Amino acid sequence: MDVPSAEYHRLTVRRPKQLPKGLDALAQSLTGSVDRHSGRTKRLWAQVDEIQKEAEGLENLSDRHLRERLQEHHDAFRRSRGDVPERVPQALALIQEAAFRTIGLRPYPVQLLGALAMHEGCLAEMATGEGKTLTAALTAVLAGWSHQPCHVLTVNDYLAKRDANNFKPLYRFCGLEADCVTADLEPQHRRRAYGAHITYTTSKELLADFLRDRLQLQRVSDPQRRLIRHILRPTLAARESLVLRGLHAAIVDEADSILIDEAVTPLIIAQPRANPMLVEACEAARHVAGKLESGRDYTVDLRYREIKLTDAGKERIETLANDLPPVWRGPGRSQELVEQAISARELFLKGRQYVVQDEKVMIVDEFTGRIMPNRSWSEGLHQAIEAKEGLPVTEPNETVARMSFQRFFRLFPKICGMTGTAWEARNPFWRIYSLPVVRVPTHKPCIREVMRESVFATSEEKWTAVAASVNEIHQQGRPVLIGTRSVEASEKLAVRLEALGLHFNLLNAVRHEEEARIVAEAGLAAKITIATNMAGRGTDIKLSREVADAGGLHVIATERHESRRIDRQLFGRAARQGDPGSAQSFVCLEDELFRRFVPETVRNSLAGVSGGIARKPFLTALNAAQRAAERHAFRGLRSVLATDTWLDESLSFAQDIGGA
Amino acid sequence: MAGNARMFSEHWYRVSDQRVALRAGVRTRRQVYRGEVWRVLYDPFGNQFFRLRPAAYEFVSRLSPKRTVEEVWKECLEIMPDEAPGQSEVIQLLAQLYLSNLLQLDLPPDAQQFFERYRKRKSKERKSYISYIMFARFPLFDPDDLLNVLKPYGKAIYSKIGMLVWLGVIFSAIKVALDNADALVDQSQGILAPGNLFLLYGSLVFIKALHEFGHGLACKRYGGEVHTMGIMLMIFTPIPYVDATSSWAFRKRSQRMLVGAGGMIFELFVAAIATFVWASTGPGVLNAVMYNMMFIASVSTLLFNGNPLLRYDGYYLLSDMLDIPNLYQRSQQQLRYLAEGKILGRPNVKPASPYRGEQITLAVYGVLSGLYRIIVFGGIILFVSRRFLLAGIVMATICVVSWIIMPTVKYVHYLFTDPALERNRFRAIGISLAAAICVVALVGIVPFPSSFTAPGTIVSTPFVEVPARASGYLKGLETPANIAVQPGTTVVSLLDPEWDFEYRAEEAMLRHTDALYRRSLHRDTADLSIIEEHRAVMQQRLHRLRERRDNLQVRVPAGGQWLPGALEDLDGIWVDRGSVLGYVLNPERHQFVAVISQDEARWLFDEAGIRRARIRLRGSAQAPLEATGWRVIPAEQRELPSPALGWYGGGELAVAEDAREGTEAAQTFFEMRVDFDQNEDLSVLHGRTGRMRIRIAPESIWTQASRRIRQLMRRER
Repeated sequence: MDVPSAEYHRLTVRRPKQLPKGLDALAQSLTGSVDRHSGRTKRLWAQVDEIQKEAEGLENLSDRHLRERLQEHHDAFRRSRGDVPERVPQALALIQEAAFRTIGLRPYPVQLLGALAMHEGCLAEMATGEGKTLTAALTAVLAGWSHQPCHVLTVNDYLAKRDANNFKPLYRFCGLEADCVTADLEPQHRRRAYGAHITYTTSKELLADFLRDRLQLQRVSDPQRRLIRHILRPTLAARESLVLRGLHAAIVDEADSILIDEAVTPLIIAQPRANPMLVEACEAARHVAGKLESGRDYTVDLRYREIKLTDAGKERIETLANDLPPVWRGPGRSQELVEQAISARELFLKGRQYVVQDEKVMIVDEFTGRIMPNRSWSEGLHQAIEAKEGLPVTEPNETVARMSFQRFFRLFPKICGMTGTAWEARNPFWRIYSLPVVRVPTHKPCIREVMRESVFATSEEKWTAVAASVNEIHQQGRPVLIGTRSVEASEKLAVRLEALGLHFNLLNAVRHEEEARIVAEAGLAAKITIATNMAGRGTDIKLSREVADAGGLHVIATERHESRRIDRQLFGRAARQGDPGSAQSFVCLEDELFRRFVPETVRNSLAGVSGGIARKPFLTALNAAQRAAERHAFRGLRSVLATDTWLDESLSFAQDIGGA
Repeated sequence: MAGNARMFSEHWYRVSDQRVALRAGVRTRRQVYRGEVWRVLYDPFGNQFFRLRPAAYEFVSRLSPKRTVEEVWKECLEIMPDEAPGQSEVIQLLAQLYLSNLLQLDLPPDAQQFFERYRKRKSKERKSYISYIMFARFPLFDPDDLLNVLKPYGKAIYSKIGMLVWLGVIFSAIKVALDNADALVDQSQGILAPGNLFLLYGSLVFIKALHEFGHGLACKRYGGEVHTMGIMLMIFTPIPYVDATSSWAFRKRSQRMLVGAGGMIFELFVAAIATFVWASTGPGVLNAVMYNMMFIASVSTLLFNGNPLLRYDGYYLLSDMLDIPNLYQRSQQQLRYLAEGKILGRPNVKPASPYRGEQITLAVYGVLSGLYRIIVFGGIILFVSRRFLLAGIVMATICVVSWIIMPTVKYVHYLFTDPALERNRFRAIGISLAAAICVVALVGIVPFPSSFTAPGTIVSTPFVEVPARASGYLKGLETPANIAVQPGTTVVSLLDPEWDFEYRAEEAMLRHTDALYRRSLHRDTADLSIIEEHRAVMQQRLHRLRERRDNLQVRVPAGGQWLPGALEDLDGIWVDRGSVLGYVLNPERHQFVAVISQDEARWLFDEAGIRRARIRLRGSAQAPLEATGWRVIPAEQRELPSPALGWYGGGELAVAEDAREGTEAAQTFFEMRVDFDQNEDLSVLHGRTGRMRIRIAPESIWTQASRRIRQLMRRER
């Protein structure tokens, strides 16, 4: 058993403030905008100058002296729990020198700026290839010195392992232990890894471990009560093995993808439990749904991914309801069930939302194209899809614990992060996580050439133009990276490129290491790579001399994404670190963004003039649609949070493990 | 309404393994609503109520610490597959029960959470105190023991015989009141006089205290408990209240209704007794107090307590009568449903009731109560602002902010950000915009008939004043009133006792002069011419005196109808020369002279300005006189056409304070002389006052209202 204070830290979870409403929300967003204009960057730059002044002459210091001085800061940070702002510049100067001696990298001023911003609890916007991992390491040292748990969260296991190993020498030099937690790690090793000063892991692992820990607590999460309990019944304590050391500081890499894009996706700890009622119902519902016709009995709403039953459809269901198990015969229930069966048929498509492997339905992440083996849809949807595919219907998983990243990260007292694209989402970052965004400039000026956006009426024209454009650049001997929005789109393009006789790499549902390798290879001369937008995030595309001379990497975006950030991420793959490069996007009226967020009348009128397509109104509509999509997403974040909060308050008797 | 909620919920795991049950002390009562058996859960300690629909009760009643929620739910599904609540409904239900403190948990009590909840509740209460400061309640004591003592009386009162006696008393009181109707109306004028306010308030507190005991006793009578009595602020006026909510759990509708009506039963009874006392006493304090009680009981019963459109006793009565609990909330819900679902096209909104008839009732009630509220508050504001302009402005500002500005801001916010409107935002914004444009057009652009009123008096045209040509004591009327007279007819005679002396002295002087004259003829012829001159002067004086004597007989200068001033009772008073004793009128032609204030003057000189004018004479308002022609005297006036129009004469126009006749207006005005159609039935007499409503060119409501407000401000200045 730990000392009581360690136990206390392990178990105490911060209770996040409620999201402000009404005028308070207005006031909060005002303070956010005041904060952005308060000259934080200027002040941080001044500190960077200070660090550089401090750094003068340090190269002549012997290793032993450097260690001693680092240790001195280490002690000061530990004693004051990391709250010694006056020591930060000198400490960073020393760490910078240590980084150079241990791993051969000397942080640029922009990286120092990023580290300072993160140490202040901001979100640093740093372009890809600007050395975010080193920046994170600098911050991690400062956070680790306080001896409170510090988690560095990467996008995947591979990066967690790689970064932890890469920076271990630096941490050791600074007197810190670093370790990493990956999916395949056993619990007892996890406990040790989390025990390190600095732990590299993915957000999913961390949240899952947090939930599992909480499940073990069995509702007695109050440290004092647990202490008494353990003193009274020592056997209980021995049986427990909590792995986490508590939540304190988190450094989140690719913060926008975790804190915004995936924020509402809950992580669910589940166990299968027999539910014959549901299984039977799904089979019957599929049967009933088979007798209904689109248009006559129901309509499909693509924008909201919803099925709406028509009155005729409702009547039909009523007449067919006798085929259903008795529980489901009432009008409300039968409609609900059949609706689900229809949406399994209409909205969830094989190859797009899921694939079938070994007689099992596997969910495919629409954005990365990656198969997610252990995921399943909730509330009978999974079963409905299995029924539709004629597979044996599996027992539904029963949730035992669930939590969204959004709620989880709000539990951290200290959170900071970095990403290539944050500015567009500064409002949600501030409103939900109280994270101010600091834009860090690139080390070398960016010379990316962004070409005019090409607009088309039909997707047919668009893909033809994309293929032609790929061919043209390819002839110049330059590498081309084509970003697609979905797996389906990348396959469409692959067919066309094959027809042109071009060789290419298709990045699609593979393991992380390989994914990173393919993306890294995308910079080779005359290489053509097709990848979904999110694939290979965090991997550098290095250019050879010859490629750079030919004009660098060319990036083609084949569609606009729901968020401007993701478009920018894709473009950011070209012309990094001062390299040459270019980018162009191709959009058409049939893109999903248009279909979902532009009213049909507007689309039709745009198509009306689209002999040669009027660029201006087209792009205006496109931008408006993108904004609408962003707002829609933000509202989604907020409403999920509101529901969670309501549940917490009114179900506090059935205490969720997230609550304190 | 069963089963509409989703069957499965992703949050189910939070409750599925819980073992919960209703707390031991919670009592259950059956209540029948619209043929459905509902159960009311009642917690006597916390005084909490919770109404459950049948299927929900089936579920809740099966909860036990021995079984998990999941097990109970499954059992319910088996027993009543179609009716049983879905998972999300169960979660809702448990959450609500928990928040009402009706659940017993198997959770080891977590003190920290208890305190946290307590703190939250306290701070919520404090907040609601501040926001309801106008209607804050301060509990004072527990009247239960007192009511127990009084219980036998309560039983007697709320019995068949008691109610018959009550009816008898009430009807005879109504008869007495009708018999004395004119006195009743007369006395109402002084009800808000400053001197009466204290008595009025005292009566109010007394009668309301009895009212509350009425509720309390009725509640006791049927076995309820009453534990709180205190003071409630109603628009800053402290008034007693009692907490009779335990009656909500009464099984019988009639009993619940009787508790609701108990207050008014007592109040009206007191008012009836007061009527008898009032009718049999002469003016005095007792009489005034009784009158106040009658006034309060009847007015408050009609306008507030008994009126179901405001949320007082009448509301609960109606709610029970219609068998619609939470009438107000649900009517709001229904209106919301109509507005959101039917007009804005928001999907998935549900009507407040599954029954069509009930839906209509709810909608009608919602609209009526909203209108009534606006009228009552509008009336109060107008009433207050007439007396205390500043207070009126403050109240009006609060109302405008809380009824117009805040809802508009909220609505716009809702329109643009509410996720529920996501799919229909275009349509919703379009419709709202169209509605807003309609309202703006209706208020700001579309002209509506507009008019203003002006006081005035009937004047005969022409009319001739009959002045006293000499001073003297009034001796009497020579010609009775309203008689046609010829020019020169004596109408009034005056008496001047001085005249006799003067005349005799002058005569003596003349005789003396005559004597001197005759003597001079003999002796001094040289003096003769002087004496002659002297004598001529004397004779002239005598002539004038005789003229004066003639003038004491007041004669009319022109022919017409003789209308004396108010002289009958004034025999013997002194009349100065020149004062008007009466008029000779032209009975053939009358005009109405209207006094038009500066505020409205601009209409008078606008060719197309005045469309039509209609005169209503005081006392004959039911028969208006249509104006046929008018002429405005294009100069500002100060002298009122009749003192009856000024403050001193009981009129409404301010007059200069130093003017004794009370005809000099405080502000200059324009005079408008109006010809009108004679009405056979109406005696149009010179001097009758009235009001003229002048219809002017149509104006938008906005222009009219802002003009009115400007005038109100100016008047106050």
